[in-house]
Amino acid sequence: MKKQAKDKLVFWLFLAPALISFIVVVILPFFMGLYYSMTDWTAIAGVKPNWVGLNNYKSMFSNLAFQYSFIRTFIFTLISVISINLVSLTFAFLVTREIKFKNFYRAGFFVPNLIGGLVLGYIWQFIFKSVIPAIGGLFGINFLEELLLLADPTLTLFGLILAFTWQYAGYIMMIYVAALLNVPQELLEASEIDGANFWQKLWNITIPMIAQAFTITSFLTLVTSFKQYDIIVALTNGGPTDIYQGTVVNSTELLAMHIYNVAFKYNNMAEGQARAIIFFLVLSVVSIAQVYYNKKKEVEM
Amino acid sequence: MKSKKKFVKWSLTFITLLLFLITIFPFFIVVINSAKSSLEIITDPISFPQKWSQLFTNIKTIWTSPSVKYASSVYNSVIITVFSLIFISVFSAMAAWVLVRRKSRSSTIIFLIFISGLIIPFQVVMFPLVSLFRNIYEVSGVKMLRTLYGMIFTYIGFGAPLAVFMFHGFIKSIPFELEEAALIDGCSKPQIFFMIILPILKPIFVTISILNAIWIWNDFLLPSLILGIGQDVQTIPLAIAGFAGSFVKKWDLIMTAVLMAAAPIVVGFIIGQKHIIKGMVSGSIK
Amino acid sequence: MRKNLALLLVMVLVVSMFAGCAKKEDPEEVVIYQNKVEINDQLTAFAAAYEAETGVKVTVKTAGGDTPYADALKAEFQSDRQPDIFVIEGMGGYKVWESKLSTFEGDAWIDLTDLEFKVDGKVYGFPVAVEAWGMAYNVDLLAKAGVDPASLNSQEGYRAAFEKIDGMKDELGIDSVVAMAAGPDMRWVTGLHNFNGYLSAGLPYGDTTVLDKLLKGEADMQRLTEYADWVELLFQYADKSVLLTGNYDAQVGQYATQKSVFIHQGNWIDPWLVDNGVDFPMAFAPHASVKGTMDSIFIGAPSFYVINKDSKFSQAARDFLNYMATNVKGHEYMVNEAKMVPAFTNVTLKPSTPLSANVAEWVAKGKAYTWLQNDMPDNFGMGTIGPVYEGFAKGDLTKQEFIDQIAAKIAELK
Repeated sequence: MKKQAKDKLVFWLFLAPALISFIVVVILPFFMGLYYSMTDWTAIAGVKPNWVGLNNYKSMFSNLAFQYSFIRTFIFTLISVISINLVSLTFAFLVTREIKFKNFYRAGFFVPNLIGGLVLGYIWQFIFKSVIPAIGGLFGINFLEELLLLADPTLTLFGLILAFTWQYAGYIMMIYVAALLNVPQELLEASEIDGANFWQKLWNITIPMIAQAFTITSFLTLVTSFKQYDIIVALTNGGPTDIYQGTVVNSTELLAMHIYNVAFKYNNMAEGQARAIIFFLVLSVVSIAQVYYNKKKEVEM
Repeated sequence: MKSKKKFVKWSLTFITLLLFLITIFPFFIVVINSAKSSLEIITDPISFPQKWSQLFTNIKTIWTSPSVKYASSVYNSVIITVFSLIFISVFSAMAAWVLVRRKSRSSTIIFLIFISGLIIPFQVVMFPLVSLFRNIYEVSGVKMLRTLYGMIFTYIGFGAPLAVFMFHGFIKSIPFELEEAALIDGCSKPQIFFMIILPILKPIFVTISILNAIWIWNDFLLPSLILGIGQDVQTIPLAIAGFAGSFVKKWDLIMTAVLMAAAPIVVGFIIGQKHIIKGMVSGSIK
Repeated sequence: MRKNLALLLVMVLVVSMFAGCAKKEDPEEVVIYQNKVEINDQLTAFAAAYEAETGVKVTVKTAGGDTPYADALKAEFQSDRQPDIFVIEGMGGYKVWESKLSTFEGDAWIDLTDLEFKVDGKVYGFPVAVEAWGMAYNVDLLAKAGVDPASLNSQEGYRAAFEKIDGMKDELGIDSVVAMAAGPDMRWVTGLHNFNGYLSAGLPYGDTTVLDKLLKGEADMQRLTEYADWVELLFQYADKSVLLTGNYDAQVGQYATQKSVFIHQGNWIDPWLVDNGVDFPMAFAPHASVKGTMDSIFIGAPSFYVINKDSKFSQAARDFLNYMATNVKGHEYMVNEAKMVPAFTNVTLKPSTPLSANVAEWVAKGKAYTWLQNDMPDNFGMGTIGPVYEGFAKGDLTKQEFIDQIAAKIAELK
């Protein structure tokens, strides 16, 4: 009996530091946020929020800026997931082959991941604004010299994807490297003797063997792309403008930034919070669906 | 046949080298432009600087500027990162261990609560969090905003879910017999954890610490809300954002500051490269 | 040994971490939270000198950068040490912070200025400085092109001058006539400064009729149509890359390197020019924002120091501001260190930098149009209409669409 009580004490004592900080920092604010999203909360001290029901949610979907931000975020996420996975898979293939200095290259490809989103945003803004035109001028390529990449909504989105891929591909590469090193060499050699070519080996052996890694990497890239904020703040600050259904909108104000701006710039804390809740719901549904689908595929393979 | 293999090998080497050069190109741009004045950058962003000594002039400007407070930002970044890493890892390992070893309904529920934290994006909790911290101050006088310990506490909360999840998976694979033997030898539970379990967890510690170090060192949005831009306690990203003023963008100083922010972590990575890559690769299979 | 060293290091870190969190009684300290990155160092030094002389500690905190001051200030008021002095930018700021402001009464500086911030006869704000903008021009290049600065007072005059200069680009060695910026970083130039021409150009100083209508959601369509011609003219003769993606550096840099004759900026660009050794003569001409003859540039106090009503040290804060306005050391700080044009009549020091010196001349002539851009609702200028300018600059919107969109955004203010 005494021992059991002591065990229980140890259980809660060991749990306490992590659990308390987690509850205070994440769980409590989450439920507060849920409540605030249904009020006219202003975040000003001493002002009691009034209940408004679902009004903040209803106004959201007819809001053009929000609709547009949603669409752009989806496009950004989709292309980012594809581009990051392609690039990192290529990196991973290369650095697991018999080439010289492969450890050096592994480290080299990973280095951009050490740079924070804010810092690399400034770097790429500088590259897009100053360096590319200067290179164009140096080689007499008029097209590059006059390219105003950050004035075009589509090009800017691709610029963001490029900067993000540059940062994140090295990290995802590590996961693929781990998976590739786990593919048994005997299997590949055996199939080679059976006359399989590179693509056949890739498709029939390697890809199925790293299916588990696919689940992880798609999940990570999806979630990280969807939540992207730091890079955008520093690289484009939401610009340039685009026309959506006759209204001028900020073309790279993706959801995470949109939420921040609605709350802080336009002083609508409650509406911002409501959009954050929707953001959370969509992200959860999409990411869980993706993991579920990939897991099913894994089994089939 | 042999020459074909050689050709493949050489072309792979070539492609890798090319990709590598593309990857480091932005760093090259940063380095050459951090040694220029603002006018020089505008007129010629891709040539080598006229005089490299400008780099030291720029570094000095940043280091001594009271509006950037670079020295104290570096100090704060180090403190926040180091303590957050230690606390996240140790506290999460403790929690994961008791959650694995005690099989009860409450432990399952608590584990699920932790897991739910993995899918809650920061954006959902950020506004109420600041509000909550302010309320904590009004009620208890504990300053959570604008302080180092408040920041570290926040990181523990946000870092715990992933760390608990990873430790949980790892600890499950440790045979219980190990602990049983120690129990028979008369060890207490905490002793077992700190003497036996913790050393076994070392590889996963490394992985979690690397991931968290990269995240915390570079984080911007969370400290901008908890610490505030332009306040007493600044981290390196906050200092950079603060002075890369949107009205007056001084590219010369931004480039130098970028270099100064990236250098410590890149150097650290190069020094510990072997262990870090091993830790990343082995940790990510789980 | 190595273990001990590491342990020691950890201990030191722990101690230093908690050293700051012991609860103390707050000593008298005035916290001033301001928005000018460029004067932070000078103001900090001035505050230190003030402390040395009076023993009152004044701490300067500055927000700027990619989190605009207004956002940062909101976060600041959610924290547990609110500033004693902070900055509002006219009526828009007043509306947001009304409940937090206290009034100045009987302070010596009030009699020394005409630019204090007043609402209903009560004084709320201490003018930080006088600033002004117009069309700043390069005196030498303009002379070389054979354009008389006196002709730059109407849209017709500007159109003729721009056409002429545009035809002499190679001779003058310029990329474009005007250095103008309308990109995402520069919405303060378009949505605030340029738009202020619509609100006040050609009207008597202090006339708020157009603004009052705007606040009621009504646009003056005649004025807006004339104003759109001016915007079009500026965009047409601007360098595309500076216009669409340029930031402050790019815009000022174009002008500073003599690649443009005009720049749409104010006297705050002086420090940039001085830092980079730019010393050609320059002056301001009026904006021809609407039809008719213009004789003034936009002069005003952009921002005001205000006192937090809940401050424990409000008297000390007021003393500090009084000292700045009345003591010669305050004048030296404002004019010689911070390179500002003070709003106080007792200041005898003259600004040394080119555009500020020119502003002082316009002030002496009494030729000013009002600054009303900060009296618009919070974020209307930069957030709401700023993007419309960018759309127009890029050619996504025609002139008519530009007019319609601005009018629609004004109508939303109802």
